[in-house]
Amino acid sequence: MAVIIGGAIVNYVIRVAPVLLSKGRRMPPFLATFLNIMPVAALGALIFPGIIESFPEKPIAGIAGVFVAALVSYFADGLVFPVVAAIAASWFTMRFF
Amino acid sequence: MAVSIDGQSILEMHSDMNFFNCDFRRGAVSAIPIFIGYFTASTAFGLLARGAGLSGLQSILFSATNLTGAAQFLAINLIASGAFPLEIVFSIFLINLRYFLMTASLLIKVKYKNNLEKYLAAFAVTDEVFSVAMVDSGNVNVRFMAGLQLTSWSGWVLGTVAGFFAGTFLPPALSAAMQVALFALFAALLVPEIKKDKLIAFLTALGAALLNTFFYYVLKLSAGWSLAIAMIIASLAATIFLSRQNALKKSPGEREFRKNG
Repeated sequence: MAVIIGGAIVNYVIRVAPVLLSKGRRMPPFLATFLNIMPVAALGALIFPGIIESFPEKPIAGIAGVFVAALVSYFADGLVFPVVAAIAASWFTMRFF
Repeated sequence: MAVSIDGQSILEMHSDMNFFNCDFRRGAVSAIPIFIGYFTASTAFGLLARGAGLSGLQSILFSATNLTGAAQFLAINLIASGAFPLEIVFSIFLINLRYFLMTASLLIKVKYKNNLEKYLAAFAVTDEVFSVAMVDSGNVNVRFMAGLQLTSWSGWVLGTVAGFFAGTFLPPALSAAMQVALFALFAALLVPEIKKDKLIAFLTALGAALLNTFFYYVLKLSAGWSLAIAMIIASLAATIFLSRQNALKKSPGEREFRKNG
């Protein structure tokens, strides 16, 4: 229980700290550019190597899924279709390769 | 209230008058892939939590108040191995430091009206919520965030409930394949950014991925640290590049100066 409450507090403090720190201050342009480009860096780092770790027995199944998601999202808007297509691709790869 | 024959416009007028208006709904719909991914992942969490000796209430409380993926799994591992609570909480802190950057980044993007909205939205900042909100091209305000975050949070909590009480009810082959859902979501969010910003976005993402791989496998950093440092270095490099480019555009004289110097 101590872990749950401690974790909850720590997680909220991390998440709310920037709000408290930024109060009444203007964002310097360099910091704004940095925070704007960060999602792209985050996405790259979130995909790899996590995808390999999630499919320890058959990394290729994970990579196939991500590849299909990227391909689908290149041609179509929206997020649901790429995700469903990726699940299908991973399932197929695990089953038949 | 004006009466309209057109059913659609009555509906729109009505929905505009309460909280569940268009932005909220748009946020909730954007979170459907997150819901799928969270539900599957937290099913595993519920199962593991039960194995580690947590009660049903504790497991659900854990997910509802912490709302974090890797750190919760790690905490369960540590609880099962008998680590001290303080030690576990400190690990959670280290793994999740990246949320600091994400909240800061969201402060620029989201059109918050007051500090209360900021405090509320900060509670449910996760990798996925952050990514979806940042790359959304529509009106991202607190209602959008509420729809996005409530849906994501529900997926995480409901999955925990399902995992704890029902075990794995999905066929094993399917639940294994569904591990890919969150990564597919990340890819589907990244591709439009690369289409928009071309080379710089591609290089930043690739650089961050390579750095993360290096830190994790070669330097053996923990997953949380590795991710946070990779993100910072790649974004910093891109920011320095972009600022230089802007400086050159703004003052043509500087280019001359550099050549001479």
